[in-house]
Amino acid sequence: MVLGQKLAIMFFLTGKIMRFVFFFGFLFFLIVGTKTLVGYDSNQVIFFFLTFNFVDVVAQFFFREVYRFRPKIVSGDFDLTLIKPINPLFQSLAGGADVMDLVTIPPLLFAVFYVGSLLNPSLLHVAFYVLLLLNSLLIATAFHILVLALGIITMEVDHTIMIYRDLTSLGRFPVDIYRQPLQGFLTYLVPVGLMITLPAKALMGLVSLPGVLASFGLGLTAVFVSLRFWNFALKKYTSASS
Amino acid sequence: MDKAIIVDRLVKNFEVTEKEPGLTGAVKSLFSPKKKTIRALRGISFTITPGELVGFIGPNGAGKTTTLKTLSGLLFPTSGFVSVLEYDPWDRRPEFLKQIALVMGQKNQLWWDLPAIETFELNRAIYEIPKRDYEENLKELVDLLEIGKLINTPVRKLSLGQRMRMELTAALIHKPKVLFLDEPTIGLDLVAQAKTRDFIYEYNKKYGATILLTSHNMDDLVNLARRVVVIDEGRIIFDGVLEELTERFAKEKIISVTLSNENDIKRIETIGKVKRMAFPQVVLSVPRAATAVAAAELLQNFPVSDLTIEEIPIEDIIRRVFKGGLKRK
Amino acid sequence: MNKYLQIFKISFAQEFAYKANFIMWRVRNVFQIFLIFFLWDAVFSDQGRVVFGYDRTKILTYVFGVMLVRALVLSSKSVDIARDIATGELSNYLLRPISYFKYWFTRDVSSKVLNIMFAVVEFAILYLILKPPFYFQTDIFTNLSFLISVGVAILIFSTLIFIVSTVPFWAPELGWGSHFLVTVVVVESLSGSVFPIDVLPQLVQRVLMITPFPYLIYFPIQVYLGKIGGFQYLQGTLISLLWIVVLWLVLRRVWSKGLKVYQAFGR
Repeated sequence: MVLGQKLAIMFFLTGKIMRFVFFFGFLFFLIVGTKTLVGYDSNQVIFFFLTFNFVDVVAQFFFREVYRFRPKIVSGDFDLTLIKPINPLFQSLAGGADVMDLVTIPPLLFAVFYVGSLLNPSLLHVAFYVLLLLNSLLIATAFHILVLALGIITMEVDHTIMIYRDLTSLGRFPVDIYRQPLQGFLTYLVPVGLMITLPAKALMGLVSLPGVLASFGLGLTAVFVSLRFWNFALKKYTSASS
Repeated sequence: MDKAIIVDRLVKNFEVTEKEPGLTGAVKSLFSPKKKTIRALRGISFTITPGELVGFIGPNGAGKTTTLKTLSGLLFPTSGFVSVLEYDPWDRRPEFLKQIALVMGQKNQLWWDLPAIETFELNRAIYEIPKRDYEENLKELVDLLEIGKLINTPVRKLSLGQRMRMELTAALIHKPKVLFLDEPTIGLDLVAQAKTRDFIYEYNKKYGATILLTSHNMDDLVNLARRVVVIDEGRIIFDGVLEELTERFAKEKIISVTLSNENDIKRIETIGKVKRMAFPQVVLSVPRAATAVAAAELLQNFPVSDLTIEEIPIEDIIRRVFKGGLKRK
Repeated sequence: MNKYLQIFKISFAQEFAYKANFIMWRVRNVFQIFLIFFLWDAVFSDQGRVVFGYDRTKILTYVFGVMLVRALVLSSKSVDIARDIATGELSNYLLRPISYFKYWFTRDVSSKVLNIMFAVVEFAILYLILKPPFYFQTDIFTNLSFLISVGVAILIFSTLIFIVSTVPFWAPELGWGSHFLVTVVVVESLSGSVFPIDVLPQLVQRVLMITPFPYLIYFPIQVYLGKIGGFQYLQGTLISLLWIVVLWLVLRRVWSKGLKVYQAFGR
């Protein structure tokens, strides 16, 4: 059964790579034909796209276990998670990491480096980029914790995750392309803009230090809020089960 | 029709690819798969007359379920001849399918989130049952199975026993002439089991339906099937009446004696194998052929106040059948 | 005929039992439309711009067209066939006097009806919010040709899904993987769901138009826009019909082989 799963994962991997290649191809031809997109040149647009993929893949690598959460709640196996001596949040978030994901991360990293270097960023900007990427992961963590907490309360994990994925996929392009109020919504409320557009913009020198700090503030707040929500959900769960 | 079911030298093999563990194994299996042949049925033959109720027993993996699946058209015979109601099941003709039903313990056909009545209605359309017949059948089944109040409840809210009764209704709503039942009482509590058995018995008697059931459950066989077919490792090793099974496979008989005094009680071991020693009762098992001699010896040489000769309980025989390793005589 | 009507009804009822599921599916569809809409809106922010033969009106009409055509062509319940085969549920259908293909096709139709109902509502709402310059086709003949090409697209997609769904006969674990690969990724990318095929270079276009995928979304919309007509239309329709025949033959072959290998698992 294990190896059957491995084969299946290879199919998914191939699918994901194909999807990346196709979309990248489309983007490429689009840029070639149109030269700029909301004021960004082709390299920049590609960089936005790569950053999105990087954040997406890394988040999935760390939090794959979340996709296994729903069956655990429905069947009651979550109780087993609760009695183990390891923090149940940690168990539900991490631990599902798949070696296969490591196949996709290095080439992406390389692509990010390469295209990033084409933009000639200063050292400070690179530092901002890295910091804001970490912030992105913070926000992604907060999201996933939120999803898990919602899952405990409503048992609806799968859809919430897919909505998260759909929303973040709007970040394939710089959020500037979206008109208001959608743009504001995506930048501040459902922080796709913060997660993906902002770090890339930082590399391009478009973000100042206060901006970086403010984002971090938001990121940390997000994590804090989601943790509180998780604890709330846990309390509700343990008091409900008989 | 002379025979409802004819099976002649039926062989069924399964090809299974053996995969080695690990990623290299997976890749290898793509290019040079190592195939293993599982011989599920090694040439079985039997016939069943319309209206018979026959039990198929045998240890796990013997080929019981495979037989039922082949008879209902799900599996393709490797070789041999199969005919049910004078149709070739594999052709899966609508006229054939309208007259049979296969009920397997785990496989359910009820739509999970909707009330059972929806599935019944669906089957009515699929089997093209005339309205009046449908309503009649439904009423009879609902009464027989006592599910009247539940047919409008979503299936997922029913208990296992209730669900099984709904499954039976859905499977029988078209009043099939031939019924294949695979482990019909599995997972049910004792009361539900008895009720299911009663239902099957009634159904057979009332409609003259030909019923083939497989079971692991002794009570099913003892209380239901008159004729028993024993399958082991893909071969039929017995086909006949239940009582004959004992005669054929029980190599011993049981002699129970009540002794009036305890003297020399140890000597009784020379007569036969002591199964239970609890003065004044002693239970011995002796080889079938030597029963009369052993009884005579006991009466002559021991202070016997009572003596009975019995067959080995059918349950023990069947238990041995399930464990496998029953040798043909 | 009555049996399939019943199936249609029960399938419809089933979707309502999974209301949340369905609503989420529609919400996600809307998000995807947002992405494409704003992308093209940004590309064509300069009002008079013409790129790849598209002006703002035509491209945004394309996007809104995708919304409706997707609901008609790509919504399908047949992805569950793979699960039926892998779990042995298929046995239930083999035992009853019903054609498995017709059964699933009917379920697909019921799903498409439900989806198009919602898509029309979403179309109306989004139209009012985003106010795209939508091009309403008035020529009756063109509209008829459009409907025909949608019907053809539905047949192509159905046979494609059925074929992909037979993988579990030989490799039960690969059911979802193969569906993801073909039905999701390949179809999404090459059918014209995200971008019209004619933004690609000529050579690539010509190759793609020999495959069945662009005929799912791109071709019908182009017919509607009036960009494909006459000889091109006939040529395209011929290729799609050819594909239906080929796929159908492959399906029959693969299916009958699959049934023989089917072990009717469960126990």
